[in-house]
Amino acid sequence: MTDSRSGRLLVVTGTATAALTALAVFGVFFVAPEDADQGIIQKIFYFHVAIAIASLVAFAVACISGVLYLRTRRERHDEVSSISIGIGLLFSGLVLVTGTIWAKASWGTWWVWGDPRLVTFLIVILLYAAYFVLRSRAEGERQRRYSAIYAIAAFASVPLSFYSVRIAQSFVHPVVFTQSGANMPDSMLVWFVVSQIAAFGLYLTMLQLELVQRRTEKRLRTLKTRVERLVAESPGA
Amino acid sequence: MSPRSLRQFRALLVKDLRLELRTRDTAIAMLLFSVISMVIFQFAVGTRTEETTPFAGGILWATIALTAVLGVSRVYVPEREQRVLDGLLIAPVPRMVLMTSKAVAIVLYLLAVEIIAVPLVGIFFVEGSFAQDLPLILLTCLLANTGIGILGSLFASMALFSRAREVVLPVLFLPSLLPVVIAAAGATHSVFGVSNDMAEYRGFSLFLAVYAVIFGLVAYATYPFVFDD
Repeated sequence: MTDSRSGRLLVVTGTATAALTALAVFGVFFVAPEDADQGIIQKIFYFHVAIAIASLVAFAVACISGVLYLRTRRERHDEVSSISIGIGLLFSGLVLVTGTIWAKASWGTWWVWGDPRLVTFLIVILLYAAYFVLRSRAEGERQRRYSAIYAIAAFASVPLSFYSVRIAQSFVHPVVFTQSGANMPDSMLVWFVVSQIAAFGLYLTMLQLELVQRRTEKRLRTLKTRVERLVAESPGA
Repeated sequence: MSPRSLRQFRALLVKDLRLELRTRDTAIAMLLFSVISMVIFQFAVGTRTEETTPFAGGILWATIALTAVLGVSRVYVPEREQRVLDGLLIAPVPRMVLMTSKAVAIVLYLLAVEIIAVPLVGIFFVEGSFAQDLPLILLTCLLANTGIGILGSLFASMALFSRAREVVLPVLFLPSLLPVVIAAAGATHSVFGVSNDMAEYRGFSLFLAVYAVIFGLVAYATYPFVFDD
């Protein structure tokens, strides 16, 4: 019953995300105006920043789920936390890849240590890759508990890493969002928002997919043991 | 802290320090390790440049960070080897007190290393006099050690029950430690030797304090869950 419901939900989010992604790609490449300064390469911004924000949201969800796990000890929260970190890590990797492409196109080098955001994402990848090292080395309830504690500690590290890198280096990154609001024309902002929602949709779809898959695996395991027991108990065996 | 927890805290800390004073297993190894890493940094970086003063802060804190891994990985060794941990966990000692005593032990080990390592870095890498900068660098050390201690106690306790803990600990510990290394190196750099940029020093020191406070809060929220079983 719940399985068919979460399956239906997955279909809905998946379809909506696919439609939004298609719309974002279309809008970004065919409708949004070309940047006067940077030309076509600026289009990477719509995806680079959108997945960067989506990955930080995934890490925030992982942190909150970690807190919830420690309070309630429900396995569900641990699953959401670990899957979110996996997706966030994947997105962070994509941020680095798109970031280096953008850096090569606009600054002429693949890697710029002076760009605090790019460097922060490198640190974030190291931080959250360690999560899986810790997770693979512990078992049972302790694995879930330690994962939750680490998800909280790592999320506290993210802003600290960003500020430490920023105060250590000169600031060369184009500042698109300032405190007075977004520093871009509305025709670009609209498509950025569409890309951002599509990135969140992608995160949600992947999260649901993984949750459904894990639950199905668990049910399959119980069914298997039940069948094995039945076979063992049957008089013919 | 209630007087009872304070007594427990003191007993735990004194036990660790007394063990260390008698065996001198950890501090001596940490000190030798820090000197060896300085020599490595000299040949990796120092020989490529005429003037090493701008690198002194960086070399100092890269050394301390690596040395801290060594110290943190040793902090639970007495408990593990003699099965003291089982006794401690059965005893009515709040987990918070146990973890805090370990954090303070790490701070003190690091301080013992820094008292020798900081002047050594000055002698090896800084041109001109540096004695007048030592009080400010001591303050940086205290601030940075607090952050390292809080984080080290948390991760050392988690690595305690993991398989291949020697490998897990540096991988867990160093990425979270990066902000401390960056800020402490910045603070040291801004006052070491001829440079004397107090505004920069204050900024980095403030960051180190904020780091300690934030991880203090994380520790306050998570320490009780580490030894839950």
